[in-house]
Amino acid sequence: MNIFDPFLIEALINGILLGGVFALPVLGLNLVFGVVDVVWLCYAELVMVGMYIVWYLYNQMGWPLWMAFAVCLPCLAVLGVLLHVLVVRPLLTAPPINQVLATGGVLFVLQGGATLVFSTEFRSLGVDMPPMEVWEVFISGTKLSAFIAALVGAALLWLFLKYTYVGTAIRAIARDREVMPLMGVDPRRIYLIASAIGGSLAGLAACLLLVQLDVHPFVGLSFGPITFMICVMGGLGNMLGGFLAAFLMGVIISVGGFWGTTEWSYVFAFLFFIIMMFVRPRGLFAR
Amino acid sequence: MQGNPSSRRHLLQATAGLGLAATVPAAPKAWAQGPARGEALRIGVMTDLSGPFAGAGSQPLFWGAEVAIELFNERGGAGGRPVQAVTADSQSKADVAINEAERLLGQEKLEVVTGIYSSAHAVPLSQRFEQAKKIMWITSAIATAVLKDKNFQYIFRPTVHSDQYAEGSISVIQENAQSKFGAAPERVRIAVIYEDGPYGTGVATGIEQQCKARNMLLVMKEGYSSSAPDLSTMITKLRRERPDVILHAGYNPDITLFLRQARSGGLRFKALIGHGAGYSQIDRLAETFGADMNGVCNVDPAGTQMLDHSKLSPDAAALAQEFVRRFQAKHRMNDLPTHASMGFNNTWVFLENVLKPTVARTGGMTADALRQSALQVDIPVGGTIQGYGVKFNPPGHTMSGQNERSVAVVMQYENAKAKVIWPSAIAGGPPIFPLPAGHPYAAR
Repeated sequence: MNIFDPFLIEALINGILLGGVFALPVLGLNLVFGVVDVVWLCYAELVMVGMYIVWYLYNQMGWPLWMAFAVCLPCLAVLGVLLHVLVVRPLLTAPPINQVLATGGVLFVLQGGATLVFSTEFRSLGVDMPPMEVWEVFISGTKLSAFIAALVGAALLWLFLKYTYVGTAIRAIARDREVMPLMGVDPRRIYLIASAIGGSLAGLAACLLLVQLDVHPFVGLSFGPITFMICVMGGLGNMLGGFLAAFLMGVIISVGGFWGTTEWSYVFAFLFFIIMMFVRPRGLFAR
Repeated sequence: MQGNPSSRRHLLQATAGLGLAATVPAAPKAWAQGPARGEALRIGVMTDLSGPFAGAGSQPLFWGAEVAIELFNERGGAGGRPVQAVTADSQSKADVAINEAERLLGQEKLEVVTGIYSSAHAVPLSQRFEQAKKIMWITSAIATAVLKDKNFQYIFRPTVHSDQYAEGSISVIQENAQSKFGAAPERVRIAVIYEDGPYGTGVATGIEQQCKARNMLLVMKEGYSSSAPDLSTMITKLRRERPDVILHAGYNPDITLFLRQARSGGLRFKALIGHGAGYSQIDRLAETFGADMNGVCNVDPAGTQMLDHSKLSPDAAALAQEFVRRFQAKHRMNDLPTHASMGFNNTWVFLENVLKPTVARTGGMTADALRQSALQVDIPVGGTIQGYGVKFNPPGHTMSGQNERSVAVVMQYENAKAKVIWPSAIAGGPPIFPLPAGHPYAAR
């Protein structure tokens, strides 16, 4: 094996960039689960809604792309809040299976709604950036830009959680949901803020995914299941763990596909996941 | 926490209800119009009207069948009785297809179901229909494995099968190797990539067999899931193998993903040949990729608008023109998707050549009577709007129920219009190989 094989290096870089694609939805899901203790099973479909918003504003309304992106984030934040208020909040004390079924129901509603409004056509943003070629290694400009944007988004989230009062309260309530109300933290407000941030992250993921994938009502199936798997592997509710697991999974899929086949790459990834669940059942990076 | 148990229950019920509304297939729709009167003859039409397959050809397949039934009824139906279609949306999911088949057979008590876009659905469904001794009339699903060595008695497929796709693409490479690619056929580097369901696997297996039989060089054969979010590693490997020609069997989201990532991944080649499904939806591909689709080829049964209608029988030519007129009046497309012709043609063959004689002979329709009529069908080449004839292989044949006269053609796109380039006897002009120098995918 030649570790300087440019094709292997390209596969490795592709894996890291792919991890960037997974990282944002993983962060959003983990944030919501860590704080509210409810899994948004419809998270990938929220991303799908965001993709449609950007596509509609840019391709149909003729808005500049940056403006479509800028509108998408607050729209998804509002959608996250609505999801919490209308579906999650009434079920906070219900058995977890009810919560999962309810957010799963929203998943089908969003898929069905998108089919009714936009039909099953595949919608493309039609935006592409030229690749970079370095020593026979091709790096997609689009994927690299999305990767950098994902890192910036994750860094901003980290700064918010680390250095603001609300961010500190979010982290605190994620650690001890029972005690924090006694310390003067209003959990209802924190849940709403966490839902809004979770929605915004879905919006950012939508912007970055739409430059790489066509949007259609079932696009969530492409990345939704693996996003959940990464969340569990990193430790459900553990944002840093999920973030790192996203890159690990991206590299396993990409390099596994390079040494084996594309079909087998996902088998490798799922095998790794299963083994890790035996070795580290609370997640790879659980404390 | 908040809310009382009653309101929570109501909310849950409402949410579950909405969720169910989104998952349960649309209520069966039936239409019967036109001058035909009398008790309707009910036939099933199962296609994927939602999910990824809808956008990869299943929707125009349905529209084609819809036009066929409307026209058939307007022309008096079968013995004056109209056809009533009982539709089912298999939602691009095999489990839904099986459940819908159970509904059509059990509750609707149908004797025949037409349609079936996906080979992944056709494989389990064919077993079920054979067991139930009811007719399954496949208008699209192409995998050879659906029928090969099964000796089915009740399954019929008037359209082409995947081995014929492989024969088409490998033939066009072999015949143009020296003159267009500047190499002996056995030196042209061929790679095949395919979605890993029965359709893609069937095509890829056929290509591998064709390459072996003709001593041609297959440098890479790799499958992938059609829902994969990333194909960049496969593209890296393709670059490493430097294929002259890439053969691809895929649906729609994966084809656009491949083309997009191939461009950003620096993949270059001399020719790209698709094999039906997503590659047949040229309007959609051209909308996304514009002129990049120029020079891309596709193997499929011919869309009727690609054919010289003077070479069809007069009846078939008139029918073809009527179909195109009606279809375009309803759906207004730049170029008719091949699946529209497949949906119309293969449904029409059933209505006109199987159902009508059965009703005339027996006064009604049972699966066994329909089967007898199907085995009697003998339409010569040029007798259908897609140019091929129809005669089904009899029981005992390795491909029992397959139309032995079906023909696949290789077409090439130019400005979102298809031109037949193989077989040369009906070609509309010579192929453009290799891709011209200015093309973004052209080998340098």
